[in-house]
Amino acid sequence: MFKEYFKIAIKNLITRPMRSWLTILGIVIGVFLIMSLLSLSEGLKATVMQQLRGIGKDIVMIIPGDISDIFTTLIGGVELTEEDLKAIEKTKGVEVVIPFPYKGEVMKYQGDSKTVVLFGMDFKNASDVYRNDLAMDVAEGRWAQAGKRELLVGSAVPTNIFPGLKPGNQATIKGKQFEIVGVLKSLGNQQDDSMIGMDLDIFRQITGEKKGAPQAVAKIAPGFSPEEVAKDIEKNLLETVRRQRGSEERSFSVFTNEAMSGIVNSIMGVIQVAVFAFASIAIIVGGIGIMNTMYTSVHERTREIGILKAVGAKNSTITLIFLIESGIIGVVGGLGGIIPGLGLAKLIEFIGQVHPVFYIQASITPGIIIFGISFSFLVGCLSGFLPARGASKLKPVEALRYE
Amino acid sequence: MAARPLIKLENVWKIYQLGKVKIEVLRGISLEIAPGSFVVLLGPSGSGKSTLLYMIGLLDTPTKGKVYLEGQDTSNFSEDELAQIRGKKIGFIFQQFNLLPHLNALENVTIPMLFQGAPEKERKERAENLLGSVGLKDRITHRPFELSGGEQQRIAIARSLANNPEIIVADEPTGNLDSATGKKVMEILFDLHKEEKKTIIVVTHDPKIADYAEEIINIEDGELVENHLTGSRVVWREKK
Repeated sequence: MFKEYFKIAIKNLITRPMRSWLTILGIVIGVFLIMSLLSLSEGLKATVMQQLRGIGKDIVMIIPGDISDIFTTLIGGVELTEEDLKAIEKTKGVEVVIPFPYKGEVMKYQGDSKTVVLFGMDFKNASDVYRNDLAMDVAEGRWAQAGKRELLVGSAVPTNIFPGLKPGNQATIKGKQFEIVGVLKSLGNQQDDSMIGMDLDIFRQITGEKKGAPQAVAKIAPGFSPEEVAKDIEKNLLETVRRQRGSEERSFSVFTNEAMSGIVNSIMGVIQVAVFAFASIAIIVGGIGIMNTMYTSVHERTREIGILKAVGAKNSTITLIFLIESGIIGVVGGLGGIIPGLGLAKLIEFIGQVHPVFYIQASITPGIIIFGISFSFLVGCLSGFLPARGASKLKPVEALRYE
Repeated sequence: MAARPLIKLENVWKIYQLGKVKIEVLRGISLEIAPGSFVVLLGPSGSGKSTLLYMIGLLDTPTKGKVYLEGQDTSNFSEDELAQIRGKKIGFIFQQFNLLPHLNALENVTIPMLFQGAPEKERKERAENLLGSVGLKDRITHRPFELSGGEQQRIAIARSLANNPEIIVADEPTGNLDSATGKKVMEILFDLHKEEKKTIIVVTHDPKIADYAEEIINIEDGELVENHLTGSRVVWREKK
């Protein structure tokens, strides 16, 4: 029976092609927006999570300030002091503390000058941690040695910043000559892949950065729980603050890798909900279009509904025929929106690869496609429900007499 | 009437309330229709005869009074139950033909069978036979707008017979047809009555149609004014 009702619905839609296509277009636009935005935000989340997965499980991140006020921390220049770093190091279970200082400086390479972000790296104590726990692997050349004027560069540097840069070449920063010794494998995002790493002590000398760092990472010794050590680190830091500065209020955010993943997950979740909510407005407008079309259709076909009822159609049959029609509009609109939507996401990903301004990946999974089709089908059915019910409630004799 | 009535109306009223005005379309009509009879409801325009036909065909419900089908009070039936009974036991023929414009002749005839759950093969075969029996075998793939009024009405007759109903109700079946085509349509109905013992109820304001009937019920101003047996069939009288 369903097959026959489906045929009737198709014939009804084909009879009014212009109206049907325009209604479908409304859904196409909505689904197009949802698909492209969802694909990109899902891709962004996947990229960030992949980076976090690259970081070892026994790594704890320490950032001064409250995480709820992260922007003040990042912009306001709140830093971990040398005392803070020592307090972290002294905490039981901490194997090594790695400060992460960075500064923008001009780097000269073969007559070309560009501003780059320099990272101070503790090659003396933490080379293994960088390589094993923070996924910083050398793709070309070798790892840098402590105390020497050697540079490790991110994977995007030879392609985007100084094209053709190779290990063995020289570069100048702040009037000092450095040798580029290695190019790192990609860390998964444009920002990290554009870094220039140098020995921590040399970094401090040439940049004049005082001791301390905007953030630090602690490697947890084997046999200790990262969660427990993270708590102890925070406690020690707060105690140090109390002892040394008396009443000054400071706070710290200490995360294990797992906690960081959770935070990223929830932030990305919020972004996705927001993206979805905005794109939903477009699809709601499309749904209202379906409703309008279906109401017009019921109005125009009042007499036909009367005929169907006269020859034995039940109310549920009439509802079903109209729901199939609106469902078809939804699904066709969904299919029409998914293809250009995901196409746009891929295009943005491609542009991101060519122009290193932003790096974003498009996530195209069967899940996202199934979601797109089912969501548009649902919108079609929901929008068609009231008109369909209205049609089924028509009294046969009144419908037959309708002119 | 000796046989148990197939259809019985008991003091049926239909009242429409239009604002403050009350319109009494049917005023206390009681009648019985025996199985296998050919009844004509005759009356002038606005007399309430079509409303009465819709009551008999279970397309409408009375404001007051009761309609019985095979002894069963239909006032307790739900909309879906009424639809089911209409589909199974009553075939409809309308003045405007009322075919579904997007469907071809064959599909129009299969629709009532679809609602009764008949399998596809059976639907198709029966629809082809019915269209053949009304002389439209070579028109089965045509859509209504490609056919003449007479052909459309014959499709409607075929559709009304789709589920082999016991009762055929026809509302001014010849009203939109020329005299010769109208005669053909009436003869098909008459044959159905004679050969297949169908109960035929026809509404008309045309006394010529009444000549086919065994029973004529005259209606005026929503009331039954005369109900008598005509005795024998009178052949179609051409216009002079």
